[in-house]
Amino acid sequence: MSTQSRSTSLVLGLVVAFAAAAACGRKPPVAQPGPTTTPPPATTPTAGPPPGPTTPPTPPGVPSEPAITSNPYDKMTLDEINDPARSPFKPVFFEYDSDQLNDTARQVLQENARVLKENATFIITIEGHADERGSPEYNLALGERRALATKSFLVSLGVGGDRLQTVSYGKEFPFDPGHTEEAWFQNRRAHFMVTKK
Amino acid sequence: MSKFTTPLVAVAALVCTTLVVFENPSALIDAAARPPVMLSGDQQQSVLELDAYGKGKTTRVAVQDFAVEGGDKAVADAARTLAEVLWADLDFEKEFYLIPRKSHASIPPAPTPEALPFDQWTQAGADLVIMATARPGANEFQLDLRVVIVRGDKRGQVLHGSTVQHCTTRNPRACAHFIADELHKRIRGLDGVAQTRLAFASDRDSVRMSQRRLADSNTSREIYISDYDGFNQRAVTANRTLSLHPTWAPDGRTLAYTSWLDGFEDVYINTLDGKPFTRPVRQPGSANWTPAFSPDGTKIAFSSNRSGDRDIWVYNRTTRQLRNITNTPGADSAPTWSPDGLKIAFTSDRSGSNHLYIMNADGTAANRITHTGGDHDRPTWSPLGFIAFNSGGHPGHNITVYKLDTGQTTIITDGIGDNASPAIAPNGRHVAFATTRWGRWQIAIISYDGQYLRQITREGTNTSPSWSRSP
Repeated sequence: MSTQSRSTSLVLGLVVAFAAAAACGRKPPVAQPGPTTTPPPATTPTAGPPPGPTTPPTPPGVPSEPAITSNPYDKMTLDEINDPARSPFKPVFFEYDSDQLNDTARQVLQENARVLKENATFIITIEGHADERGSPEYNLALGERRALATKSFLVSLGVGGDRLQTVSYGKEFPFDPGHTEEAWFQNRRAHFMVTKK
Repeated sequence: MSKFTTPLVAVAALVCTTLVVFENPSALIDAAARPPVMLSGDQQQSVLELDAYGKGKTTRVAVQDFAVEGGDKAVADAARTLAEVLWADLDFEKEFYLIPRKSHASIPPAPTPEALPFDQWTQAGADLVIMATARPGANEFQLDLRVVIVRGDKRGQVLHGSTVQHCTTRNPRACAHFIADELHKRIRGLDGVAQTRLAFASDRDSVRMSQRRLADSNTSREIYISDYDGFNQRAVTANRTLSLHPTWAPDGRTLAYTSWLDGFEDVYINTLDGKPFTRPVRQPGSANWTPAFSPDGTKIAFSSNRSGDRDIWVYNRTTRQLRNITNTPGADSAPTWSPDGLKIAFTSDRSGSNHLYIMNADGTAANRITHTGGDHDRPTWSPLGFIAFNSGGHPGHNITVYKLDTGQTTIITDGIGDNASPAIAPNGRHVAFATTRWGRWQIAIISYDGQYLRQITREGTNTSPSWSRSP
């Protein structure tokens, strides 16, 4: 049995165990949901991530200013790059039961596309997520549609499709486990993970 | 009817005429144990007998404390557990009214049918008394089991007499489940489910998944199994990732499920003997989920986007060939086979919202069966001529039953909490499902007419149940 995970994921085709260990988890979106009026999830029981594995002080990964000349990500591990506080990629959010990208989402994706072009070796996994309403199985398909819509838009901006993998987690990994409109908003998202740099 | 009055001697003489061997559900736990065997000579007349007897009302049954020969402590403990579990197993199917055991605690156990205090039993409301004597052997014990009529002009007659061998003190529950299924079969002609098992996904022993640091919910879920009554819950995977949608193969030894083990959705197959999983439908770039074994176990239907659109595919485990059997625009998911294997029901949003469809198992003649609402999912096919599914509504979802002959739908849960992912017992009479009515997601069982709700899991978050088709 080979260990490829996806057509676009030649990068993962290492050893089974390694691929499993490296790719079996994804991280929820950054702590600052970026677009629109989303309140920061200050009240969630997330308690903030531990401030990254101990590494030498790296350049603060200011999302709006990915390094241009000396690439700060060269020295960072994937875990560090995907740390919500440092990730150069912002999530995009969706309306209820929708996979349509609104203007805000498109702006975010244009910025994400720019980061991808500047970091041409990055391979990204786009995770589609859904809020808790609707059946678990339906939300898997909905998360898939969101991830694919996000990928399609990035491809239309000139990002190579072979750098963009998609996965759906349905409603299984809410960013905010609450049962409010605010929580649901944050959970209807496409989230970016760097799986290879 | 004198046949039924025969005491132990005659039963012993008939021992060799029938020998029923069932697989032992505890075999996986205790591989050395031999499965229980029931030796008896009462085969065909008991159904008629009881029908004549219980006419017009539910037969009321008492389970007397079992006698123990020799006073072995371990056997005595096992016999007590066995009686209690047998009581619960018989109560589960509601073929009889089981008299609460506490209510007749003052009636002394009798050693033989003739010695039963009939007046006391009729006063306690019993029509039948189940009595047994446990006889210890090497590492196991046998039960001399009698079902005795205690009311009316047939009082004292033995409706069922048998010797059950290979009960163990380590797992008396398995022996009770075996006896319950035997009694249901022989006395009521019913296929019980006491020896069946459930599978479900649980986060109770979860670990934080790689690169997931934020929320408690971002933790792994493993596949668990348990006896049908929720006892003996244990993990059968250790993938340390998200795994959902377990589904039993008909052999009762194999489970397929959806796992994100390598970061993407795929169908995995585990056997319960600890061998490594397999991924028979894996294809780079495709996301595969909601597997379902055909009733004969030779095929697996599942949902895949490998064609560019999400369709139902069927994998032939013998030829290893794959077929797209829906190939229609729109997301098709959650297939379930009819008990005869000729049809498949599934969910599709091809109409613009989620509805249920039935098609032939080769994909022809797809026919929509739900027409109102638009938030229906996860059909599961009962051998009793209905499909249970998860239907949207407000505020939560409910388990709904669709009758195949009339097209009539009935909601069988009560709108409390969210209710999802129904799974049908092999005899069609019970529905396992996931519900938030007690807080976090838990597995529950309800009868198909919406009665007798019982909670199966209590620890962690538990979802997507499947009910085994055999012990």
